[in-house]
Amino acid sequence: MEEMELQLKLALSSNLDEGFDLNDHNEEQEYDRLMKKKRCFDETFEEIKNVQVPRTLPLLDHIDLCEEEDGVVGWPPINSWRKKICHHYHHNSRRGCTTPTNYVTVKNGCGGGSRSNSMYVKVKMEGVGIARKVDLSRHHSYQTLIDTLMAMFANEKVQGYKLAYQDKEGDWLLAGDMPWG
Amino acid sequence: MQTDPNPKKSKDSPSNSDSTESTQSASPFPDDVLGKVLSFLNSDKDRSSVSLVCKDWYNAERWTRTKLFIGNCYSVSPEIVATRFPKITSVTLKGKPRFSDFNLVPQNWGADVHYWLVMFAKVYPFLEELRLKRMTVSDESLEILATAFPGFRALSLMSCDGFSTDGLKSVATHCRNLTELDIQDTDIDDFNGGWLSCFPENFGSLEVLNFASLDSEVNFDALERLVSRCKSLRVLKVNKSITLDQLQRLLLRAPQLMELGTGSFQQELLPGQFGDLESAFSNCKNLRTLSGLWEVTSVYLPVLYAACTSLTFLNLSYAALRSVEFGNLIAYCPNLRRLWVLDTVEDKGLEAVGSSCPLLEELRVFPADPFDQQLHRGVTELGFVAVSRGCSKLHYVLYFCWQMTNAAVATIVQNCPNFTHFRLCIMNPGRPDYLTNEPMDEAFGAVVKTCTKLQRLSVSGLLTDLTFEYIGKHAKNLETLSVAFAGSSDLGMQCVLEGCPKLRKLEIRDCPFGNAALLSGLEKYEKMRSLWMSSCNVTITACQQLAREMPRLNVEVMKDKESDDSQADKVYVYRSVAGPRRDAPPFVLTL
Repeated sequence: MEEMELQLKLALSSNLDEGFDLNDHNEEQEYDRLMKKKRCFDETFEEIKNVQVPRTLPLLDHIDLCEEEDGVVGWPPINSWRKKICHHYHHNSRRGCTTPTNYVTVKNGCGGGSRSNSMYVKVKMEGVGIARKVDLSRHHSYQTLIDTLMAMFANEKVQGYKLAYQDKEGDWLLAGDMPWG
Repeated sequence: MQTDPNPKKSKDSPSNSDSTESTQSASPFPDDVLGKVLSFLNSDKDRSSVSLVCKDWYNAERWTRTKLFIGNCYSVSPEIVATRFPKITSVTLKGKPRFSDFNLVPQNWGADVHYWLVMFAKVYPFLEELRLKRMTVSDESLEILATAFPGFRALSLMSCDGFSTDGLKSVATHCRNLTELDIQDTDIDDFNGGWLSCFPENFGSLEVLNFASLDSEVNFDALERLVSRCKSLRVLKVNKSITLDQLQRLLLRAPQLMELGTGSFQQELLPGQFGDLESAFSNCKNLRTLSGLWEVTSVYLPVLYAACTSLTFLNLSYAALRSVEFGNLIAYCPNLRRLWVLDTVEDKGLEAVGSSCPLLEELRVFPADPFDQQLHRGVTELGFVAVSRGCSKLHYVLYFCWQMTNAAVATIVQNCPNFTHFRLCIMNPGRPDYLTNEPMDEAFGAVVKTCTKLQRLSVSGLLTDLTFEYIGKHAKNLETLSVAFAGSSDLGMQCVLEGCPKLRKLEIRDCPFGNAALLSGLEKYEKMRSLWMSSCNVTITACQQLAREMPRLNVEVMKDKESDDSQADKVYVYRSVAGPRRDAPPFVLTL
């Protein structure tokens, strides 16, 4: 069974005001080159920022598909202890994605190379320590996904959130622009 | 102790194995002199040779062996061991095949130490040391360990699973003479750090304490008191929960440390604290090994500089340093013999290694971002070449990268012909030489032709059978070979099996080697520790044939859920005097 791990992130609009680019969690030069190719988050959410809705915080989904090439189990050959560190390192200091896929979290005795149908997405909210996981394959529309996420983060103030994500090309898209699938 | 290659012969001089019973001593006890001499032998290889000379020597050897090394726990049984060796005080046991590190072996596969411990409790009450690698260890087993052996001193668990911090509580509570508690690369149920507080207040014998793999917070006061009491403490590796100012206090208590694993190296320090930390480090005059440094920020690296001059082993593989800050640090480490880093240091960082560490013997470069499909940052062939230019004593390398060329590898081995361990992982499976687009055959050809002392080789990139022809032809000292996504036909594997006389471990995955290749090694496998083949082209029928013709081999097959009935998806073959496993789970077919 494979788990494709995506990572979602919630950020505050105040960060947006400072020209916060979700990708740029650090000052690394190499990222600048790449980031310039992407539509800045600010541009995408221009219309939202201008809307006079107090305390409206966009729900930013920073999805970075971390599927391995051909779904290869156990490659590159790094042991699970070290994978945890990679994951931790990215989680804290890089763009917050690139979670190692399937086998870090598969502890169900599978070890085999077959694919599963689940698509787990890790959702992180800035300021909240604990991430939640949601299985995208169980959802058939953005609405059900949003409802589920709302319920998961029921403890936090999630009113007025909009869903946005970054696709493989690095473009920011609003959920609902593209059909689900 | 030196091993004596020519032990004095006993008065019953060893004769050939055909000598009759009457010329040999009938006593089950060894000749005193022979026994005394043999007690100096430490090497297992020497002891094996000695035991084959004649019955007297076999007996003398078995009565004087105190250290037991079992490289594959299923190659022998606890009963056989207990019968043969009555005086064991130290045991090393290794369990699962190495590819279990990469999740290729399902959970509950086996290698449980429990039954071994039950036997040891019966026959080796004086057991002092237990070192386990890739074994499953339950809390119950740790309880037995803690209570059945009054003289128990050293526990080392590497890449083990199955226990929790409750098991550690037992060890801390009951092992009055513990000198070593070393837990590495281990993923366990970490309920809380309370286990550390279970060491009694009058307990002070620890020399080695490594709990870096554990996550939860320990009681710092208990730790500080423990460290103060253990005057012989030479190795201390703490976990991430220990902060910088706590580390400083620990260093004040244990300036005699030789090996230090720091906790988290990220904290807001007041200027005074910075100076305290710096002087704490410079007070550690015996520091040879440094690791940990989680989340280190470059601001705090300078506190290490004073301690760096005497360092021989620096493990930065948890610290995502970049080339400039790393370069600054490494300039202070002229005596390094071993260096582990993350590839965030990039080629520039490796150039700094080449110019700062002329005595370097071992380099391991781990990927910070192994699943990054887009950017492929990290190190390239240039970094490796740079190190080889500056470090001619280099003989052990583990290198993860995204690109390599045949020419670069040829240059590297020309600069460093003494490689004993060459492990190159080009992270894109089947990637050719990125400049010429040719297979990487010539690279590994250069390695095996030039590095005559090569013991361990891991290959990667686009490889044809030619690579394996080279290996079979030239790698005469090769003991361990790891192959993935390589080769063109059965011929490749056959060349290796026919050509490498010292081969002990062969692990293969995702290669086009099939039945003919498997069966060509029929007689070879008994001379090896084990063979692993997964996702190749081997059928169950061929495995059955292997099992039939070689009764002293255990041939085990695991199937993937979706493959068809005839495929042997995962094959594990190993020699054994204990017969087929009795504890095989249902998904392991023993043929």
